[in-house]
Amino acid sequence: MATVTLPKGNPRTKLLVTLVVALALPVILFGAVLVLATIAKPEPVAVFVREVLHHDPATWPFTGLVYGVAAGLLTFMILNFGAVVAAVTIWWEMRVSSRMQSRIGYNRVGAGGFFQWIADAVKLLLKEDLIPADADQLLFRAAPYFVFAGFGLIFVALPFGESVIAADLNVGIFYVTAVTALVVVGILLAGWSSNSKWALFGGMRSAAQVISYEIPAGLAVMVPILMAGTLSMQGIIRAQGAWPWQWFVFTNPAALVAFVIFFIAQLAESNRPPFDLPEAESELVAGYLAEYTAFRYAIFFLVEFGNVWIMSAIAVTLFFGGWQVPGVAAEAYEAARGAGALPAPAWWGLQVASMAVFFVKTFLVMNLVIWIRWTFPRIRVDQMMNLCWKYLVPGAFATFVATLLWQILVARVPVASTVSGVVLFVGALVALVQMLRLAKQNVEAGGDQVDLSNW
Amino acid sequence: MEKLILRRVDRNYEEMVLNFGPQHPSTHGVINFIVETDGEVMKRAIPDVGYLHRSIEKIGEATGYPGFMPFTDRIDYVAAMFANEGYAIAVEKLLKVEVPPRAQWLRAISCELVRIASHLIAVGTMTMDIGAFTPMVHGLREREEINDFIEALCGARLTYNYHRIGGVAFDLPEGWRDKVLAFLDRFDKFLPEFDRLITFNEIYKKRLAKVAVVSREQAISYGLVGPNLRGSGVDWDLRRDMPYGAYPNFEFEVPVGKGWAGAVGDCFDRYYVRCLEMKESSRIVRQALETIGQTPEEIMAKVPRNVKPDAGEVLSRVESARGEMAYYVVSDGTNKAYRVRARTGSFTAMSIIEDISGGLMVADLVALISSLDVVAPEIDR
Amino acid sequence: MAQSVSEYTGAIKDTVKSFWHGMSITLSHLLRRPITVQYPDRTPMPVRDMLPPRYRGFLEVDTAICTGCQACERACPINCIQITLEKDPANPKQRVVTQFDIDEAKCMFCGLCVEPCPTGSIQHTREFEGSQRNIRNLTFRWSDALSPFPVYKVDKNAEYYPRAPLGSLLRAKLEAHPWNEAGPVFLPPEAPGAAKPVAQPKAAAAAGAAGAAAPAPRAAPAPKAVPTNGVPAPAAAAAADPVPAAEKPVTPNPETK
Repeated sequence: MATVTLPKGNPRTKLLVTLVVALALPVILFGAVLVLATIAKPEPVAVFVREVLHHDPATWPFTGLVYGVAAGLLTFMILNFGAVVAAVTIWWEMRVSSRMQSRIGYNRVGAGGFFQWIADAVKLLLKEDLIPADADQLLFRAAPYFVFAGFGLIFVALPFGESVIAADLNVGIFYVTAVTALVVVGILLAGWSSNSKWALFGGMRSAAQVISYEIPAGLAVMVPILMAGTLSMQGIIRAQGAWPWQWFVFTNPAALVAFVIFFIAQLAESNRPPFDLPEAESELVAGYLAEYTAFRYAIFFLVEFGNVWIMSAIAVTLFFGGWQVPGVAAEAYEAARGAGALPAPAWWGLQVASMAVFFVKTFLVMNLVIWIRWTFPRIRVDQMMNLCWKYLVPGAFATFVATLLWQILVARVPVASTVSGVVLFVGALVALVQMLRLAKQNVEAGGDQVDLSNW
Repeated sequence: MEKLILRRVDRNYEEMVLNFGPQHPSTHGVINFIVETDGEVMKRAIPDVGYLHRSIEKIGEATGYPGFMPFTDRIDYVAAMFANEGYAIAVEKLLKVEVPPRAQWLRAISCELVRIASHLIAVGTMTMDIGAFTPMVHGLREREEINDFIEALCGARLTYNYHRIGGVAFDLPEGWRDKVLAFLDRFDKFLPEFDRLITFNEIYKKRLAKVAVVSREQAISYGLVGPNLRGSGVDWDLRRDMPYGAYPNFEFEVPVGKGWAGAVGDCFDRYYVRCLEMKESSRIVRQALETIGQTPEEIMAKVPRNVKPDAGEVLSRVESARGEMAYYVVSDGTNKAYRVRARTGSFTAMSIIEDISGGLMVADLVALISSLDVVAPEIDR
Repeated sequence: MAQSVSEYTGAIKDTVKSFWHGMSITLSHLLRRPITVQYPDRTPMPVRDMLPPRYRGFLEVDTAICTGCQACERACPINCIQITLEKDPANPKQRVVTQFDIDEAKCMFCGLCVEPCPTGSIQHTREFEGSQRNIRNLTFRWSDALSPFPVYKVDKNAEYYPRAPLGSLLRAKLEAHPWNEAGPVFLPPEAPGAAKPVAQPKAAAAAGAAGAAAPAPRAAPAPKAVPTNGVPAPAAAAAADPVPAAEKPVTPNPETK
């Protein structure tokens, strides 16, 4: 009693273990997604059946089964990827937010608290699973499935890298918009079936919010679609260049506005502050989550944070050139692939590079989402509607028309896009520098100094 | 109570009765609001108080006069110093004791520091209720420093029990004055930063603008006090208009609501008056610390150990962080009070909620409660 | 509501500007040092040593300089201090304190007991870590009937009173037993063969050393007990002489040395 105890365990070992896991996790997950996404295609499966199993893939009855196993493995790994990404997002968000609030944040489980998400998950799984007596049992149980399905299905069309995509649907972005709507079905069900007034409020707010914001989001998405001329996720990325001034967000002034609208709408659709009305803690206690516990609660939580990563990834795909690696042309991938049944090593290297680019960009956009969350207060219901219908929808229409005109009138001159790209990119850089300068001024005005030693 | 209301609500299914509290994150303690809503829009919200009633006034009749002092801490534990001061002044009036000047200055210093701390909680929780978490933590960070100072001054961070009948318990600790002055320098820079972070944030402003407007007449007739009253444009501050203690020696402004965000007496005015008051309190503390003598002097008047005032009754009023706080103490000539009554700002503030909540949204109710800066123990005592 | 174009665009401009400033502030805090004190295990020194000297933690009594004046007991607004004074049987002129209990679980740390103390014997320490599984362990017994201490004679000319280092006595008490130890039993255990204790405490006390229930008054310094105000009750006097029955309690009292 009344004695100071040292932290348990050796800090150096802790750091080592954390680093190993922190490095191994992305390697394993990205590697698995890369390998499986490459293998789980009809052609490699056919080659595998012919060369290894010595059957004619066309006539052998179990070719479909082999394909199914490969696809199943890919699904499994992608779901794991989604879960881990959501969890690490939580960790990162908590670290960043705590610094914004002069706190330290997670720092107990593992070095830098990196394993906190595992501890949280274990805790949530061990909690008692409660269903209120008067709840609609079936719907109450069903709601998390809808939410999780809406989350998991997005990964089907998410382009991780040049060839790393589960299925490059020709209606990719349309598909993504469609399955995202499943989440709101789940939230609405959760709100209704809980038979709690707070949950009902949350569910209703969520329905109103998500359905309203689908419109500006959909219209804003039309801008990159118009510029790329395709709905395919890979097609939209391929239509952009690798350098910042070749990204859609800069090559067309209207697209920059469209990005802002899309970003706001996505914030609203994934219930992120300042649009967290459905679970507004200070108003609705926990909103639609009020009656959920344990694993079901964990799923809602996971999806909420996973959606942060996903919305960043989609924004990167549509506006920030996706996985495009600077200096690597589209033909380079084809050339590196070689003629063999399995691609050559150089091709794998390029794929890894493209995935890294995609991941870094997503991470940066994700930080923007986090930054916004921890700065702004919550908007009110009527203001939320006001913003959507008075500002975002007209704005989205305007950008849509402007893009049409741009494509017809200006984009015919090849240099126009480059000029716009360079000018806007430089503008963005200036804004960034201004922001950093302002931040530095703030630090000095507070009589403080820049100090990152305790990060 | 709820049954009573349910009977009054028409049995049409457009409306529902919502129990907002007692366990709700933004009721600032245990208060219950029975809210009749039609969707998001409230018909009215009826406060149901009493969950935190601890019979403090009755305890005042059971303990001796000096022994009641620590209980006054519990009346308003966010700004306990004022409760101390009010009670001390009341008993001093009964005893006809003159407080030494240094003690009065120490009282002013401690009270104004606590006013800053209390307002930091008020504006911080308000921003949190509106949904921004970061400003609240920034506010608490500054409050922690003040708590450290108060702890160094009197040994406790929350229930200070610093004032005594006839003076104060301790003189300034060594080095305290310079540390507080250095803190005030930083704090004066913190306030504009806080304003830029949240006060002038457009969402925040829009959330509070023209919400729950309390007119001048309403504010007076409902007996609102302190920043709530001044937020409605009534220029009344006991420290200036009925000065007590060391206040006549200081120069300070009394901020009054001007309709900064649209309407005089809306939530934003009540909020921003508190922000400005923090600045003024900082000014007062600075003036007091710069002019207070460096050498220890008498800080306690001659008060008998067994306090036994003559029979009589007094009323003392102090400007607390939550507005005017009054103590009505009746003595029957024994060493225990015949009656101790505390009049607190939060209690009267609760009564206005039913009247102005009609037509507000559920989210506005949260803003209204926090803009009135009610503290549950002060309501119930 | 009608809105002019300038209002419409002005709203957008104000919004962007205020957001820009707000975000610059959160960003700037990302670059500053956090202020968290990582109590309890990652502080540069034990937190009690970081507290200011006036900190009002657990009360400590230096029995060597306690005059037994009971001013603290009278000052306490919630009666959490319990003092009993008796005459020393060996030396009738010397008064001894046979009971000095402070119920720290009930104490509200107001500091009113410290002020009237003539010698500074009772003081707040900077100790605050006292979580106990059994709340009875928070009743600190600075004296008991088995080892009473004589009252201190105040020397009128003394400049100061020699006091043990503040906190040392309390820490010894705190460290005397683990936090999860069973609490002391204030009421004596029932004798195995005894019939149900008839509610006749006075009669039992009068019975003195004979009955099994005899030590009831002295082994029951329950904090609730009525203030004795130093008047030695006849029962207490009876209990003062070491009766063999007094050694009977089964549960050892950790506070008893």
